[in-house]
Amino acid sequence: MAIEVLVPPLGTTVDTVTLVKWYADEGETVQKGEPLFTVETDKATLDVEAPASGVLRRVTAHPGDILQALSVIAVIAAPDETLAEKTGVPPSPTQIISPTPVSEASRAATASGKRTRTFISPRARRLAERHQIPLAELQGSGPDGAIIERDVLAYLERSVAPAITPVAQRMAEQAGLDWRQLQGSGAGGRITREDIEHALATPRSEAQPPVSPTMAGTVNTPIEVIPLQSIRAAIAERMVRSHTTTAPVTLTAHADATALVALRQQLQQDDIDVSYNDLFIYIVARALREHRRLNASLDGDTIKVWQRIHIGLAVDTERGLLVPVVYDADTKGLTQLAQETRILIARAQAGQSTPAELNGSTFTITNLGMFGIDSFTPIINPPECAILGVGRINRQAVAIGENIAIRQMVWLSLSFDHRLVDGAPAARFLRRVVQLVEGPHLLMA
Amino acid sequence: MALMTIAEALRQAIREEMRRDPRVFCIGEDIGIPGGWGGAFTVTLSLADEFGHERILDTPISELGFTGIAVGAAIGGLRPIVDVQYGDFLFLAMDQLVNEAAKMTYMSGGTVKVPLVMRAPVGATRRGAQHAQSLEAFFTHVPGLKVIAPSTAYDAKGLLKSAIRDDSPVIVFEHKLLYGSKGPRKEHGALDATGEVPDEEYLIPLGKGVIRREGRDVTIVGKLLTVYRALEAAERLAQEGIEAEVIDPRTLVPLDKELILESVRKTGRLVIVEEDNLTGGWAGDIAAIVAEEAFYWLDAPIKRVSAPDTPPPFAPVMEDFYVPSAERVVQAVKSLFQ
Repeated sequence: MAIEVLVPPLGTTVDTVTLVKWYADEGETVQKGEPLFTVETDKATLDVEAPASGVLRRVTAHPGDILQALSVIAVIAAPDETLAEKTGVPPSPTQIISPTPVSEASRAATASGKRTRTFISPRARRLAERHQIPLAELQGSGPDGAIIERDVLAYLERSVAPAITPVAQRMAEQAGLDWRQLQGSGAGGRITREDIEHALATPRSEAQPPVSPTMAGTVNTPIEVIPLQSIRAAIAERMVRSHTTTAPVTLTAHADATALVALRQQLQQDDIDVSYNDLFIYIVARALREHRRLNASLDGDTIKVWQRIHIGLAVDTERGLLVPVVYDADTKGLTQLAQETRILIARAQAGQSTPAELNGSTFTITNLGMFGIDSFTPIINPPECAILGVGRINRQAVAIGENIAIRQMVWLSLSFDHRLVDGAPAARFLRRVVQLVEGPHLLMA
Repeated sequence: MALMTIAEALRQAIREEMRRDPRVFCIGEDIGIPGGWGGAFTVTLSLADEFGHERILDTPISELGFTGIAVGAAIGGLRPIVDVQYGDFLFLAMDQLVNEAAKMTYMSGGTVKVPLVMRAPVGATRRGAQHAQSLEAFFTHVPGLKVIAPSTAYDAKGLLKSAIRDDSPVIVFEHKLLYGSKGPRKEHGALDATGEVPDEEYLIPLGKGVIRREGRDVTIVGKLLTVYRALEAAERLAQEGIEAEVIDPRTLVPLDKELILESVRKTGRLVIVEEDNLTGGWAGDIAAIVAEEAFYWLDAPIKRVSAPDTPPPFAPVMEDFYVPSAERVVQAVKSLFQ
């Protein structure tokens, strides 16, 4: 009995995935439970296991194809089994969407002699596998458009960034300088502050794109053309959706975090290593318990006020912005939060997040304090109601009564969707967050 | 050091070996007749003056007959060097070479040796279909035969001396356009393969190839004339930024497989150039070896540049089209880079 190979549904927001590669070729024997193919969602790549043991047959999807969730992309059958004509096996009860137009189109294209598969030379494949490069990200420049070694090398050159000291990186980013193009002069080729200063002082050095004669005219050419796909495309789509469909308002408040800083130091002295992110997740989750309307989503014509509080944490990764989720954050202690966020952040930065780790948040926190940002207007992570932006914690002179004191101050920026909640309740929520930041002892009350 | 053509270098090799070993003798058609050319391409010219007609043996036109004589003499303990005027005539001697010489050592359980050298000119040189073939693949296919194909004077002398001292039957393919034959035997379109040959004795072991030109982008394997076509192509490709590595195996059996594999592992691309017909040729065999043993190093399909699957044509313009040119090699290489 032939078993269909289905594209798995991967969470609520993912309905198409990109096929990255097959682990087995058509006609090869596969074992149930072993990885059969790799797909890339808008947020993560993951392996899908073979649903049965047998021979992989009737493969209709190829690396690079966009696939509908639950579509049939192959069958696993006995080698001598006779498969039904046309699209093969009758639809199983689990099949919701019929075979996708993509596979039909590719079949038609094959029949008309046009190649839809991307070829890769053995040498290039070897190199790509050694560096774990997803083949779908490679552009072929060889004979017949095949991916050859130079394409993999070009990819590696683009993606391997040189080492840089934190100071130099901050300087470069502040100056808008693409430090990845620089040659480092520090230990082990590390880019140092001097390299950045030198590059900034000599704008026509080799660190900069070559100055062409057209520079004087009006013609401009891009230094780099980045295809809007995968994570970048997902981010773009979400940001536009947020910007065009929500009614965002941003409230800002200046909070005295001196007690919070002291609390963190105290915890660290007691060997409990928590980050400010963990503290803010802890505070926000508990404040949301009292301000349920901020822990809500708009779903069509209804506002769903969620029972459980799942906090998304915006993480900057090489692949782009990812938002791993701490489930039931209001029920977890600081030690547990710290453990979970450490793992979630590491996995996000390694590109290993599972769809489950990236779905289901009901409120998001984004922290730009490490970049020296004071306050900003965060964009709401749809379909959520609100997002809290955390700025840097900075020593400032403030008036305490009739005296001036040095305090650890932080700007908090709350963006909320005015369609779901009005300004006053949102302000009350932010005031409560400020209260808890300034008096963390209240968390015990 | 002396500058020599390949014909002169071969002659020098035969002379030295005949002086060194009284068992060595030459046999063939018109190789020593007074006033003759010294074989079809002057290799044995004047050797009869030194060694006499008993060791430079002229025969009637009877390839099967004199090859049989040579095989018998070799089995009996002599070391014959047999000369066919054109490699094409080897077909007449096929039974002696393939059924007797190649198999005798195996059939006798190693007790019988056949130390025979068969010299055969190959290549299309305005003489039509029956005096133009490149026959290497017919003989690389036969177990028990060794096959050498020298493309320089230095190699010709060193390899022939090794072949004469080898206890197996060795077929020596010599390209007519590379001999450097002079006078009436000067060939139309001949290349100058004159090169330095040391005065002191040297041998080149059978089974060792050479890199004629180093490069990082593509490996071109040629033999005999096509080594020069490949080198010319490499020069042109270099002007376009493609650095070709040109390999001359020199010995076809036993093959210096590792030299080719190592080069392909470096460059990731392979083009094989030969003058033989495409189908069933030697180039296909090299392609198969690399596909089997260095597949994962390949960055492009393997290309063969060969003669078409027709007999060599007689009309000069057609022959020029038929024999792989440097331009065809250039095009084949460029197709691997798109």
